[in-house]
Amino acid sequence: MTTTAPTIKTEAKEAATKTSATSTILSLISHQYLLAVVVVAFVVVGLIQPSFFGAGNVQNILFETAFVGIAACGMVLLITGGLLDLSVGGVIAVSAIAVGTVLPYTTIGLAILIAVVIGAVLGLVNGLLVSYVKIAPFIATLGTLYLFLGVAFIWTGGQVVSVTSSNFRALTTGSLGVLPYPFLTLIVLALLTYFLLSRTSFGRTLRAMGSNQRAAELAGMHVNLTKAIVFMVAGACFALAGVFLAGRLSSAEANMATGIEMSVIAAVVVGGTSLRGGRGTVFGTVIGAMLFAVLSKALNMLGVTSYWQYIVTGAVLVVAVAIGARRRSAAEVRGAG
Amino acid sequence: MVNAPQLLQVDVVTSAEQERRESARRGDRAARRQSILQKLGIIIPFVLVLLAGIVLVPSFLSASNITNMLVDGAILAITAYGMTMVIALRGIDLSVGSTQAVVACVAAVSVNAWGILPGILAGIAAAIILGLVNGLIVTTFRVPAFIATLATLGIFRGIALLFTGGAPIMITDSAFRSIATSSIFGIPVPFIVAVLVGAGFWFVLDRMRFGKHVVAVGGSPESATDSGIKVKRIELIAYVVAAAAAGVAGLLLASQLGSVNGSLSSGLELQAIAVVVLGGTSMAGGRGNIIGTFLASLLLAMINAGLNLLNVPSFYQYIALGMLLVFALSLDSAQRAAVRRVFEGRVA
Repeated sequence: MTTTAPTIKTEAKEAATKTSATSTILSLISHQYLLAVVVVAFVVVGLIQPSFFGAGNVQNILFETAFVGIAACGMVLLITGGLLDLSVGGVIAVSAIAVGTVLPYTTIGLAILIAVVIGAVLGLVNGLLVSYVKIAPFIATLGTLYLFLGVAFIWTGGQVVSVTSSNFRALTTGSLGVLPYPFLTLIVLALLTYFLLSRTSFGRTLRAMGSNQRAAELAGMHVNLTKAIVFMVAGACFALAGVFLAGRLSSAEANMATGIEMSVIAAVVVGGTSLRGGRGTVFGTVIGAMLFAVLSKALNMLGVTSYWQYIVTGAVLVVAVAIGARRRSAAEVRGAG
Repeated sequence: MVNAPQLLQVDVVTSAEQERRESARRGDRAARRQSILQKLGIIIPFVLVLLAGIVLVPSFLSASNITNMLVDGAILAITAYGMTMVIALRGIDLSVGSTQAVVACVAAVSVNAWGILPGILAGIAAAIILGLVNGLIVTTFRVPAFIATLATLGIFRGIALLFTGGAPIMITDSAFRSIATSSIFGIPVPFIVAVLVGAGFWFVLDRMRFGKHVVAVGGSPESATDSGIKVKRIELIAYVVAAAAAGVAGLLLASQLGSVNGSLSSGLELQAIAVVVLGGTSMAGGRGNIIGTFLASLLLAMINAGLNLLNVPSFYQYIALGMLLVFALSLDSAQRAAVRRVFEGRVA
């Protein structure tokens, strides 16, 4: 009986070291398993359907990765800050339509700049609603999604704006070897996002705000200003995705990116960024975007009806968040309030 | 000298009493301001839109337009009642539109195959299953409600599209089709259904223990858990009820349209949330206002009908809806800020 107490203690200690060791291993695996999943999915589908390995298809996957990934770079900043933006589809549509409309009159660079600025302005609208009017982010941006879509519909009158400039198309759909320009842009943007998130005081404020907003406020951080800025940055990222999408489709219309917010959020969450805020992984986000690109192209190649993509994306999103919630048994996120 | 401690005690007692009276007064003031803002939030826009409609819109008061508005408002209201319950619980259900599409499609096929009653039952059963899926994902797998239902919004939409193969389904049963178009004593049946269902929801939320529990969970899930309320069970039931309400509305919609397809009711979540918040239910949870939801649904139906009659392109309805939602939400947050100011008056 006398020995039980020390045994319990050592056992507890052992258990503690074991759990910390397992959790380290788990976190390592959880960081790398996604890449493994992507590779395995890619290889398996390729074995079933050899044309999956073709250069054209690989390029398609990279294009798709780039569109979702570029938008997801903005989203990962928002989610790290404990925010969310559902108006992605609206911002993409408006900025793509802007590019299509101004291209005949200006240079390509200016057109892209205009689109990105418009994206930042739309982001600012979201940011002001969330920071100063104090509306919960997901509901405010759900409202602005329809506002922006409405703007896009009214601007085009419901028509398709065609992008005729061949130089613009070459710039947005060209490729360096097998790597398309949008994908290279994604890599640069991801590096910038990583730098912004983990090496600047802005990123630090963002992470502090995401893990505990009240504490960040009391520590004298400019929470409202940071929120407004991060929504602007995210809006600019969405707009950039819209620019490349307009080039790829060689047209722009209000419906061009309906429902993309789910893929973007799913890419971020599947990549390992917690919806509770406070930390974000840019690398994981890019891999998450790639996973969905591989999945959607695989479904295409295997001849599955496109409707299944809704179901697959939604199911992967739920599973990813559920696994995250299981890992941390802490209180759940509250979207409202 | 002897009196000094007694004096002190008396002082403490009076100051405590003063404190209590003061805080009660603050509480009253907060409640008063809240209820004023809440009522103004719905009644002023309602009256303004009604007047604007009567003055500016030709044939706004024609019998057919009134019937139209009542039916549209009723169908929206039934969906929004369920949303009111979920939002009072501090949750959200973004999947109502997709749920409604699945229910309408299942009901349409079942009505065509087996007749009217089995069709309705099949539709309701489908709604309950989808609600269970939402509820289980939120409670058992602890996925935040807005992300869980965002995912099921996609999943259910995919199911609806797969089920129909992207083609519209005509409903051949004329008895089913006449449900939404017939009226009793000149009042359209959907409106009567909406009033009855609303009365049911009001009774449950305001007068029954379950409703008190819903509001308690929405006010503070932690305290609700501590006081022994089975939070997860309440949440699960609320999501099932919300889906069932969306399903009933879907049946009426299918009956009204006579033909359904997989992309039915997309974007419905925004309308439902907008009318719930406009009706005075706070996004912060802890308060549900069924009557406000009902009035706000009629308001939105009036706006849509008015814009239609004025031949405004339908895109502008998006803008109107988005602005309405942002307006309602700003009012909600202003209301909360007002209450906070009253309570924290001295500190700030």
